[in-house]
Amino acid sequence: MTTDVLETEALVEAPQRRLRRRLRGPLGALVIFLILLGVWIWAVETEVVHRVILPAPGEVATAFFVTFTEAFFYEHLWVTVQEVLIGFVIGVVLGFSLGALFGVSSFAREVSYPFIVAFQGLPKIVLAPVFITAFGFGMMSKVVMAVAISFFPVLINTMSGLMTVDEEAVRLMRSLTASRKDVFFKLSVMHAMPSIFAGVKTSLTLALIGAIVGEFVGARAGLGFLLHSYSYQLQVDRVWAITMILGLIGIILYVVIEWADRRIVFWSSQGAATEATM
Amino acid sequence: MNRPMIQTENVRKVYGGANGGVTALDGISLEISSGQIVSLLGSSGCGKSTFLNILAGLIPPSGGDIKVEGEPPRPRREVGMMFQRSLLFPWRTVVENVLLPAEVMRLPLKPSEDRARELLALVGLDGWDDRYPWELSGGMQQRVALARVLLPDPDLLLLDEPFGALDEMTRELLDLELARIAALTNKTVVLVTHSVYEAVMISDQVFVFTPRPGRLSGIVDVPVPRPRDLATSGTAEFAARVAHVRGLMAETPV
Repeated sequence: MTTDVLETEALVEAPQRRLRRRLRGPLGALVIFLILLGVWIWAVETEVVHRVILPAPGEVATAFFVTFTEAFFYEHLWVTVQEVLIGFVIGVVLGFSLGALFGVSSFAREVSYPFIVAFQGLPKIVLAPVFITAFGFGMMSKVVMAVAISFFPVLINTMSGLMTVDEEAVRLMRSLTASRKDVFFKLSVMHAMPSIFAGVKTSLTLALIGAIVGEFVGARAGLGFLLHSYSYQLQVDRVWAITMILGLIGIILYVVIEWADRRIVFWSSQGAATEATM
Repeated sequence: MNRPMIQTENVRKVYGGANGGVTALDGISLEISSGQIVSLLGSSGCGKSTFLNILAGLIPPSGGDIKVEGEPPRPRREVGMMFQRSLLFPWRTVVENVLLPAEVMRLPLKPSEDRARELLALVGLDGWDDRYPWELSGGMQQRVALARVLLPDPDLLLLDEPFGALDEMTRELLDLELARIAALTNKTVVLVTHSVYEAVMISDQVFVFTPRPGRLSGIVDVPVPRPRDLATSGTAEFAARVAHVRGLMAETPV
């Protein structure tokens, strides 16, 4: 009898508890957002922070929506998007090619090792003025900047992914009379794919940073250029609006690449199982 | 039927440098007839796996003479190899894994796929063709690996402790399955194992290896008729062979 009551209670409560569990994360985030908004409004009202540095939330929101009604905004947006995507694609291809070369050939790896270490240590942003000088104020210099900053994670992850291929799996391939090409494409690259994609994800974010930094240093168009101009004109509400839009672009790119990641390397979410199989 | 599948003469393998090298195998001379199931039995470090890899043409010997179907060993379609781990590729479905040899060997794909599905049925995995390896248990994964090694229809199967990572009950079951399938498809099988029971259960002949350096210390015939089943292990004949093999293994200190 007692157990019956307990079981019934458990059955009734279970869905409620599950719902509460699922909601507590988003609800907590919402509370923190509201607190931050409150602090923002308070800081502006009491002039703790000067209006030139931080306008009221309402002003920023207005600037945000007004920006989308202006035709020239889309021209700048299109320039930046092109720079990011072209730089990203070239960066990934370049990173993969070099990573594959270094992953397959220990000679190439040994020769290039000092350069890899040197380049890894270099804050790539310092290259921006050089690229502007070399490739001008147009899109070219920003694409080059995006490539320079984004190809490296793909290179490293491709190389390390290729180097961790299971020796016994290679032996299986050889026992099947596989050529080096077959081993590379049917085993090594596929094995490295989750690692490569982790690098690709990082490099997409970096390509955006590279393009914007390039635009800051010297440009005639692009969202980074627009942000810079507004900043000089002390149109701080516009500066914040563009900042938010850039954040939004970052989020969209991330969501897209996450989706592609889950589609393309679908087996890597089976982490433990995969390891057991291989 | 009784022409030799494998003949070796004084096979030696030394790992490492010329002076400080470790002798893994020394003076292995044996003959394995076509259509037989034999085991290479020994404790770890006796070189039995090394010997199998040499037969597969995956490791070059340091000395001696080897003939597999009358030719020096090299990877080829007629020789299939299976490992302790299934080595299934997680990005391929079960049937795509079985088809891997066909792709690598450039066999016609459509007939190969039909054959792959037949083989999956043969190893008892009917209906699992389009699943992924991680959805299968360890025993089922090894069944897939068995179907994969059978796909190009090799004459010789070289098996490196294929069921060694599985629990004992699954292993006994798969051993009997393996013997059944080998007989059905007319294969010569060389099985590496460290289990006396498994070796005697499955083999026509057991080659006992002893370690440091790896040497062949004896050959035991197992004239127990086929097909065998789990009851076979209860017979006096079986017990006598097990005792004989254990005696050979005990001669050298471990």
